Amino acid sequence: MSHASPTVTAVRGPHEATGFFRTYLYATDHKMIARQYLLLGLIMAVVGGYLSYAMRWQLAWPDTEVPGFGFVGPETYNVLVTNHGTIMVFFVAMPILLGSFGNFLIPLMIGARDMAFPRLNALSFWLLALGSAVVLVSFLVPGGAASAGWTGYPPLSAKAEYTGVDWGLTLWLLAHAIEFAAFLLGGVNFLTTIVTMRAPGLGFGRLPLIIWQQATAAILFLLSVGPLIAGAIMLLMDRIVGTGFFLPERGGEPLLWQHLFWFFGHPEVYVVLLPALGAVLEIFPVFSRKPIFGYTLVVWATIVAGALSFIVWAHHMFVSGMDPRLAMPFSITTILISVPFALAVFAMIASLYRGSIAFELPMLWALAFLAMFTTGGLTGIFLGSAPSDIYLNGTYFVVAHFHYTLISAVIFGGYAGIYYWFPKMFGRMLGTRLGQLHFWSTLVSFNVVFFPLHWIGIAGMVRRIANPLQYDMIAPHQWINVVSTVALFGLVASQLVFFVNFFVSQLRGRPAPANPWEATTLEWTTPSPPPHGNWGEALPVVGRGPYEYSVPGATRDWLPQRTGAAAAEARP
Amino acid sequence: MTGTTLTRGYVIIWIWLLALMTVSLFANTLPVSRPAIVTLMFVVAAVKAVLVALNFMHLRLEAWLIYAIATAPMLLVFGLMLALFPDFVLPR
Amino acid sequence: MSAATPTYAGTAGAAARGKVGIWWFLASEVMLFGGLISSFVISRLGGSAHVEHDHLNVTVAAINTFILLSSSYTMVEAYAAAERGDRRGMRVFLGLTVLGGLAFLGIKAYEYTGEITHGFTPWAGTFWSFYYTMTGLHALHVLIGVIANATLCLGARLGLERPYRVELAGLYWHFVDIVWIFLFPLVYLS
Repeated sequence: MSHASPTVTAVRGPHEATGFFRTYLYATDHKMIARQYLLLGLIMAVVGGYLSYAMRWQLAWPDTEVPGFGFVGPETYNVLVTNHGTIMVFFVAMPILLGSFGNFLIPLMIGARDMAFPRLNALSFWLLALGSAVVLVSFLVPGGAASAGWTGYPPLSAKAEYTGVDWGLTLWLLAHAIEFAAFLLGGVNFLTTIVTMRAPGLGFGRLPLIIWQQATAAILFLLSVGPLIAGAIMLLMDRIVGTGFFLPERGGEPLLWQHLFWFFGHPEVYVVLLPALGAVLEIFPVFSRKPIFGYTLVVWATIVAGALSFIVWAHHMFVSGMDPRLAMPFSITTILISVPFALAVFAMIASLYRGSIAFELPMLWALAFLAMFTTGGLTGIFLGSAPSDIYLNGTYFVVAHFHYTLISAVIFGGYAGIYYWFPKMFGRMLGTRLGQLHFWSTLVSFNVVFFPLHWIGIAGMVRRIANPLQYDMIAPHQWINVVSTVALFGLVASQLVFFVNFFVSQLRGRPAPANPWEATTLEWTTPSPPPHGNWGEALPVVGRGPYEYSVPGATRDWLPQRTGAAAAEARP
Repeated sequence: MTGTTLTRGYVIIWIWLLALMTVSLFANTLPVSRPAIVTLMFVVAAVKAVLVALNFMHLRLEAWLIYAIATAPMLLVFGLMLALFPDFVLPR
Repeated sequence: MSAATPTYAGTAGAAARGKVGIWWFLASEVMLFGGLISSFVISRLGGSAHVEHDHLNVTVAAINTFILLSSSYTMVEAYAAAERGDRRGMRVFLGLTVLGGLAFLGIKAYEYTGEITHGFTPWAGTFWSFYYTMTGLHALHVLIGVIANATLCLGARLGLERPYRVELAGLYWHFVDIVWIFLFPLVYLS
């Protein structure tokens, strides 16, 4: 089955990690670090999901005791909103989509033995773990956790008196500074690995698309986070030292924070989206047995979208009191950025067209991503243009919009990737029965949770209010909140199905062959799971592009990127 | 990049840097308008930065990729600063 | 730089990787300082941060500028020596660079002390807030550079030197120098 031979043990290169400490704690193997990121992301997802449960309960049945949480009320509600948002974006989406997928796939897909800086890689992960710990600790300090919204706008966030939260908010800022440092170092590692460690024959034009997307995401993060770190330093100075950078009464500029925040904030949504898009782009050719439509087009769409993402940020600020002269240019760039994404979506649809589609689990998640992401993208057009945004800004329409885009990335794209690469990562197949249950229940309950929120948003329910019944205009629509919350119970329950499946399959799943999906990219030519050093004695040599399916005249419908005997042996 | 041939070059660059520093120190005494002086100071600073980057950081011997990595963030910072002008600098 | 590195553990590969990595890192540093400096520039031009030259010690800052520029020169000489295989030269120039960095930090501390005792604390106004944040962040970078260079210098004494590490530390050190090249006219002169 695999190309492993007895001589593999004599491989030159890093020594196999031995002992509990080297294997699990001070691990430098990219595959172990990827698993660590995945586990950390899933743990934090439980925390973030728990917060959303308490939040939705409060919205459906305001000011009643939440089972398993307690009384919420306005102050705690602010804590829930703030921490649900930041935990899900920074401690769930990024660890899973960048940390785990990036670390696992980059060396395997480019034919390297590890990342460029393995110890730095371990440092990145443990910094992230530290940041997660600081976030969790911030719930326990006197005054409670941060409650100034996930955007942390000053002046509200600049003084402890304004929110009543002193150390909680400072720790929250600190945790995110640590998280930024972790992913900065991680991004440096990703980019260096991709630039310098590709296998012989693997030019940029032969890179699997997800590598392009991971690289673009890393660049976006690297180049956008600096101004926000600068802003965070200034905000910390305001809180701790007593400066007045963002305090109007001291001559400061609160609006400056919004600019610095969203200069990062908008590229950040693509940092999360692009790796998920990449995972889906990997999956479509495999399960429709067709090459991707327009490889070069998708690469350029990714690069152009990445470049444009730096000049759209003020569309988050149309009602912030910023100079109205900025609204027009930023509306235009925002509408413009839908062009490359539309191209990518069309390329995906064209890749499916007349393919022999196999509805395996990864493909189901990928198709759901396509549908849900398109829905979220369409509502984005309403929000990107200033006139309609002025009405919709800050309502549940926005909440529905970004959950459709971000959940399609993190949940649908993320699960697509997890179901697809699980056999390679853990050496066993993920159970399909529970997998089917998980997929269908998630798809249905997700839509029932979030689609009605568009309506209640248009009806005028704004974000971050703890008790919708206080407002006469929303009270008649309260049934929407109840429906959404009840559906959330279903959404949470379906994730429990996944957790059971995930852990049981790791122990009892069917052993995975090297290439269960008959895919072409390099990672499928190693055993599942790949050994330390990935490739045995010789590095792989790449002979062709990544998506050579159904090539006319070939003896089978897929031609692996890797040339030589190992590629042929890897047939299931 | 061999050290031996460049060492004399390094000394010359160092002297240039010190000379340019002196220029910006005494720019305030020049009999020209204030904006002209400020412009001169930042042109001098930019020249110094380029000298350090090209020679001490060996940018002149690098591949295009390193140039791209070095210049892209500068452009972004410049763009960010310009976009902030309407809100904080220009009259409404 | 497009050539793939076929060997896994060769030092040539490590040097190339290190260089690409450090440049990416510096790009993010440009954005960090760029964000802070942009904020200062627009606050100044917008009138909320009036520069108070009279209370800054330009002479001392000029001496500091001289020291930092010169330490950049000694750093590049350390690299040249390392490339030649001249261990002693490398140690001497690295030591000089470390001394330059320490002198810069000492003088900066002296400056801060003078300003604070005259009542110009970080919370004394927007200009002073920016002044301490910008120069403080820069000083932190100088400190990190001093630690890196001192580590290399001591490592060379123990026979652990790798020339490319001197180059990488040098890239960082020159970047810190470039930041000061802009901070000096921005804060003290214009």
